[in-house]
Amino acid sequence: MRKILAMVTVLALMVCCGAASADTFIQGIDPEYNPFSYMGDNGEYTGFDVEICKAACEVAGLDYQVFAVNWDNKLVQLDAGECDVIWSGMTIADTMKEAGYVISAPYYDSSQVLVVRKDSGIETSADLAGKVVAVQLGTSGEALLNGDLSALKDTFQELVTTENFLMAFTELEGGAVDAVFVDSPVAENYVSGKDSLKILDETLGAEQYGLAFRAGDEELCAKIEAAVQTLVENGTYAEIAAKYPGIVNNLLFLNAK
Amino acid sequence: MTLATIVLKMSEGLGKTCAIFFLTLVFSLPLGLLVALLRMSRRKAVSVVTRGVISVLRGTPLMLQLLAVTYGPYYLFGLSVSRNKLIPVVIAFAINYAAYFAEIYRGGIESMPVGQYEAAQVLGYTKTQTFLRIILPQVIKRILPSITNEVVTLVKDTSMAFTVSYQEMFTIGKQIANSQTSFVPFLVAGLFYYVFNLLVDFVMGRAEKRMSYYR
Repeated sequence: MRKILAMVTVLALMVCCGAASADTFIQGIDPEYNPFSYMGDNGEYTGFDVEICKAACEVAGLDYQVFAVNWDNKLVQLDAGECDVIWSGMTIADTMKEAGYVISAPYYDSSQVLVVRKDSGIETSADLAGKVVAVQLGTSGEALLNGDLSALKDTFQELVTTENFLMAFTELEGGAVDAVFVDSPVAENYVSGKDSLKILDETLGAEQYGLAFRAGDEELCAKIEAAVQTLVENGTYAEIAAKYPGIVNNLLFLNAK
Repeated sequence: MTLATIVLKMSEGLGKTCAIFFLTLVFSLPLGLLVALLRMSRRKAVSVVTRGVISVLRGTPLMLQLLAVTYGPYYLFGLSVSRNKLIPVVIAFAINYAAYFAEIYRGGIESMPVGQYEAAQVLGYTKTQTFLRIILPQVIKRILPSITNEVVTLVKDTSMAFTVSYQEMFTIGKQIANSQTSFVPFLVAGLFYYVFNLLVDFVMGRAEKRMSYYR
């Protein structure tokens, strides 16, 4: 008895799309960074940065596209041309400038805060000695703890890195960690719905958000900055910002002194 | 976001998960056999090189291989990154799984008694005929349970494609979990994978039954 298995597989791998046209502007976002960029209730990407970028593209006459990057590899993906900008609540780091990326003027002042359980008795960062603290991998909080704030980190019993902040908060609520070190808008957003958690008053390592373009893209950066400035002037910027109350106070263009 | 929207949105990603799964199998199963034959080659150089390649592929994380296949060409040769992420993802998966399949094939082929080759020779079979008509059918029958093992693992490994921003089911699930601060998408993902693997189990079980022609 013999069976002949004839398998004919027609594979049409779509080697698709060709190059994007010159007028396309692809925004690279962290799709898991509420409220700056995330998946909305209808399944489309939205968030403060997404809405502003869309509006800016309209002003500048560019075709808007969005691309969800893997945050750990965001600069690789920018270099490789998968997106034209990293615009997603990104902390401006000196290392990016040194590496030649074109960085826009900052638009947001972020501070890092500590979130703890209300019943934990932790009031300041000094109380964290011997405690377990969680931070999201690849965020500015993690960079701070391994850099400028490494003395603070050394007092911890352990620093746990999680893949996203939801996991960090879940560990906190579940009692696996004692505190979460996170950007303040993210903390505000999450803690507002939770009775058991609180944000410590102390802010650490204030940082600023900006956009990162590929080396040599000064012109594109200027074009986008001008478009955003137009939005600020005609009030669209404030209109969009009003939808995201948790971050309004930290927006530099609206709170210029 | 309602449960229906969550499931719908993740189902869209499920299509991409399935694409990785089926394309990987289509390419890696034959490629694995080829690698197994190279690995058993009488030429020392061929077998040693193949052995080294298998060693690297099995000894480094799939996640790293995904990054290397997707971005390596750009960094090494300045080639542009494929806009269709399915291509590098399937290449990386197919190569990685071929390495595992190759060792399974080799185990199966080497388990066949030498007497069968001798008998076939006496009966006037050529080497190719012996392999294709006598050895291989028995090998497939023997290795099917091990293959099932790998296939089941592959279903779950597809989630690794998030490393290179390929929006498969689990990647989308994570994004929804984040925006809704809810673990429901993870439960849905778990259910999807489990049902997928139940199907795999069923299909492979049927295949094993059809192959058990000596009983």
